[in-house]
Amino acid sequence: METLVVEGLSFTYPACREKALDNVSFTLHNGDFMVVCGATGSGKSTLLRMLKRELAPFGEMSGRIMLGGRSVEDFSDREAAQKIGYVLQRPEQQIVTDRVWHELAFGLENLGLDTGVIRRRVAEMACYFDIEDWFERPVSELSGGQKQLLNLASVMVMQPELLLLDEPTAQLDPIAASDFISTLARLNRDLSLTVIIVEHRLDEVIPVSNKLLALEEGKLLTCGPTRESVDLLRSNLLLREAMPVPVRIAGELGADRDLPITVREGRRFTEEFCGNSIRSLPEPENVLDGEPEPALEFSEVYQRYSRELPDVLSGMNLTVNTGECLCILGGNGSGKSTALGAAAAINKIYSGAIKVFGKKLRDYRGQELYDGCLTMLPQDVQTMFLCNTVREELKDADLDAFPYDLTPLLDKHPYDLSGGQQQLVGLARVLSAKPRLLLLDEPTKGLDARARRLICEVLHKLQAGGMTLVVVTHDTELAAMLADRCAMLFRGEIVSCGTPRQFFSGNSFYTTPANRMTRGHFDGAVTAGDVVVLCRLNAAADRNRREGEYSC
Amino acid sequence: MKSFSEYNPITVALWYAAVILPAMFILHPALTALSIVGSVLLHTVRTKSLRGNLIYFILFFAIALLNPFFYHNGVTILFFVNDNPITLEALLYGFTASAMIISVIYWFRSFSAMMTSDRLLYVFGSASPKLALILSMALRYVPLFSLQIKKVNDSQKALGLYREDNAIDALRGRVRVFSILVTWALENGVTTADSMTARGYGVGRRTYFSIYRFTRSDRILLAVTLILEGLLLAGAALDALKFSFYPAMTGTWSPMTAVSLAAYTALALLPTIHRVTEEFAWKRLLSRV
Repeated sequence: METLVVEGLSFTYPACREKALDNVSFTLHNGDFMVVCGATGSGKSTLLRMLKRELAPFGEMSGRIMLGGRSVEDFSDREAAQKIGYVLQRPEQQIVTDRVWHELAFGLENLGLDTGVIRRRVAEMACYFDIEDWFERPVSELSGGQKQLLNLASVMVMQPELLLLDEPTAQLDPIAASDFISTLARLNRDLSLTVIIVEHRLDEVIPVSNKLLALEEGKLLTCGPTRESVDLLRSNLLLREAMPVPVRIAGELGADRDLPITVREGRRFTEEFCGNSIRSLPEPENVLDGEPEPALEFSEVYQRYSRELPDVLSGMNLTVNTGECLCILGGNGSGKSTALGAAAAINKIYSGAIKVFGKKLRDYRGQELYDGCLTMLPQDVQTMFLCNTVREELKDADLDAFPYDLTPLLDKHPYDLSGGQQQLVGLARVLSAKPRLLLLDEPTKGLDARARRLICEVLHKLQAGGMTLVVVTHDTELAAMLADRCAMLFRGEIVSCGTPRQFFSGNSFYTTPANRMTRGHFDGAVTAGDVVVLCRLNAAADRNRREGEYSC
Repeated sequence: MKSFSEYNPITVALWYAAVILPAMFILHPALTALSIVGSVLLHTVRTKSLRGNLIYFILFFAIALLNPFFYHNGVTILFFVNDNPITLEALLYGFTASAMIISVIYWFRSFSAMMTSDRLLYVFGSASPKLALILSMALRYVPLFSLQIKKVNDSQKALGLYREDNAIDALRGRVRVFSILVTWALENGVTTADSMTARGYGVGRRTYFSIYRFTRSDRILLAVTLILEGLLLAGAALDALKFSFYPAMTGTWSPMTAVSLAAYTALALLPTIHRVTEEFAWKRLLSRV
């Protein structure tokens, strides 16, 4: 049965000439799982908000939205709130109350249900989401992933017919994101819940969806079964960039249908595409010549936040050479951000020594350390912004030297920028002190593929200009593209360190999708680019061999 | 097995009121003695250790002995210090007042351990659901803000903007952090508001849910508390609990005095007795396993 019918939906924001949405129509059946994709500013979030009456932006709208055969306009406030669930991006800010159980009950309290009903529904939901263990805890003690699961559960407790999610995993680490998506898939499968999800990292969510809707500048590009849409979109470079790695590789290699969407299918695709007479690419030459000069040294560093708590860093040793880019990877709570904070003299260590450019941290007096020596880009760049416009924010910064043109953004309020733009402004801001060593904490968190590539390019240029970079990240693909060396932090210690190729080929789980896809077929292919190059080389070799056989 | 702190918070809060208010307002040596015995016993049974009591022990004697040295009223002179008489009445008054103060401190020590923020919230919430929601949101914002303050502090420090070596710069740093925090709070408050409207906030009359039930055992405990308190207050109203220290100690005595004091004994020892009997019952049940 048709659940949701959207007909000719158009929307214009006040004082805007272009339509944010232009004649969008689609139909969803009961139990459909639809992914909405598109570049930043293509109208994804606007579309989602239009479907939730309470959150619909103010402006000029035309078209019809029908849910379960009735126009959404005709719903009472109560029905509208109950039938359509909405989960937003930031896990922290969506939570209203102080305890987990109270948060679960919040929506039902609003509907005015009596205690007995609320008790039963809350118990049922806590059971389904397996949150009994933290049922009575204060919400401030939960991890980001738990918070987002709580947000989902407290929407599901209202028993919606349609669930809308606006980039729910953008602020989560990869493991929590994957957990969240599998919970969604389970809800969809077990309860035949209709789901519409807006995402820009599509690796996890495309394989569990059955429909894909793509938007470009407010216009519908395609809406249909996932595989057909993926095949249709292969030539759209902007959208392909956001697709799962196997799709990107196959698209790049010119495949025109049945594009692989999972690692398993990608694996079969590469094996069928070419042989493996050339198994690996040559290791890039080490560009640093002469004796490497250490920019940052950790020796036997121990850190804990208070006497009663366990060590966060326990005997960490690490050397970063001048001019190189080192990525520190590791799970949640492995001490990555703490290590970075220790290097920036924000977190105090209780044993060991940290040297910056050969000088111990405690020998730096006053602001000497932050003046032309070292700066840190925090994980949440919003914690830096103080002024009302980007221009004021960047008044000390040398905009000409920054490898990206920020002039179009200068008159905007920093909070009005997209995540990627905020990150770039933050970066320009920290560079105004002209540091030689730049520390970055999760620079690509919550960014779409295009913004990630942009950040990556900017960082490459900065490094080429002689800057030393230390990047803490969960993003294995970023590390593979960016780093000269990668280091794995586990329980406060560096357990392995090497060039991306050595590092990721040595790991079998904690590695890039491209590497998982080609493991055993190729050696040391870690980025989508590597795989594409190897496939082309091998295909050419296969052709040459075949021609050789014919000519004999 | 249900421990005393697992009763409905309203029952527990009423019991505390029933036991603390008489201890504070009826100055009677016997009643104060019962209050201090009850409160210290409850604390000891609950924590199962004698540590952390020394400071209160010292405080008890310090307050008690202070009175006779400054106040010389009373007819029974014990001895003289610098030609000032130290009287038995002043000494006993000191002990009674001190016992009252220390016992109230002990009642509140166990009160704050038993009545966690969510239980207190429930007590207020049953008076007004709106107030309860506001308090709950406030409790949620305290840890959220302190975490954000730390983040802002750290990022400003790493920018080299945060000089702590002189007072004016340090103050300017604080002002900057506060200003960033306000912008952040306003901006992110929009998300919270969206999340509230999306879940139907304001569509109609709200109910108030809590995980606490009012069970049969709560009704029994509440009834017992009210009956005992009634007997005690009846005694007080009938002047059966009058006691004066100066110039000589005189107290009224009637059968009602005995009834009131017996009622307060039962009231003050209620959780302790409850605890001990529950433990015995639990051990007996376990022995059958």
